[in-house]
Amino acid sequence: MTSNPKRFVLVGAGGIGTWLAAGLVRLLEWKYPGSALIIVDGDNYEAKNKERQDFSKIGNKAVVKAHELTPQFPNTMIIPIPKWVVSDDYSGVADDESPKITATQLLNENDVVFAVVDNFAARKIIFDAASKLNNIDVFTGGNDDHLFGSIYHYQKRDGVEVTEHPVHFHPEYESPPDKNPGELSCQERSEIEGGTQLLATNMAVASFILGRVHKTIVNDQNPEETEIYFDLGLGKSEPYNRTVISTNQYTTV
Amino acid sequence: MESNFNNGSAQQKTGMANVRFGVYNQPSNIAGKSVQEAREQFSKLWGIPTDAVAYKGKDKLDENYVIQPGDNVEFHRRAGEKG
Repeated sequence: MTSNPKRFVLVGAGGIGTWLAAGLVRLLEWKYPGSALIIVDGDNYEAKNKERQDFSKIGNKAVVKAHELTPQFPNTMIIPIPKWVVSDDYSGVADDESPKITATQLLNENDVVFAVVDNFAARKIIFDAASKLNNIDVFTGGNDDHLFGSIYHYQKRDGVEVTEHPVHFHPEYESPPDKNPGELSCQERSEIEGGTQLLATNMAVASFILGRVHKTIVNDQNPEETEIYFDLGLGKSEPYNRTVISTNQYTTV
Repeated sequence: MESNFNNGSAQQKTGMANVRFGVYNQPSNIAGKSVQEAREQFSKLWGIPTDAVAYKGKDKLDENYVIQPGDNVEFHRRAGEKG
């Protein structure tokens, strides 16, 4: 199956993002040749990340990952943006050591966005910017330090929200308990603990998101399983319907 | 914040409602009980935090809200943060 080229925007190339990138680039290469995968991350890959992240060398995560994927997937344009995503009203310093891009500058109509950063503050910036566009999909996902994780799919079509903004169900998006690393100083960023996440949970988040992409983007089906919680320890997952409107536009297979 | 604490007819209805928290989803004979009572019933079993807000759809429920038959009461589970 082939279709019109797409623009996938992956924000965060870390424990989830690197595994997600591997799936997204293959999807684009074979289902949507001529598409673009934009990888956005202001952070650098370090040896301490090796246990959970898929990189072949040290350097900026977006640049290294783009260089790794480009020769393998000639039908997909892979574009690194080695910058931190910040809000429109960010007034801090954007220098060579900490380059920034606003979410509004980054996102375009019809983008499919993957916000797999490790904090609610940056995800909120991305969701808020996306909510001002008419046609957009934003997938996000995260996990705890153990075997629990969750994903969420925000979708708008023709200016109408198909699924709700997650702020309606999650106070952590209304008042994020964390800070966007892109809006911290280099010193402050270096002091953030990476935690003790598990590779299996990172990969499961990436897999759940890929599954949703297959259903709602490739097959253009109803995103009624808008939010999914899972626990690999319990062997359970649970979908939540966060749709806003009657989505008769979708076909049933 | 939705509340029906003073609605006498609402308090008398009993029957099945659905209680959810993260990966847990349990139809239960809990209609007629308050959100607070439902929290007490399921908190130890599922680990629901004492400050987890209860929702019915997008509406936040008061602790004294009396659960109605067919309600879908969801205790907020914080989304996965790291990645």
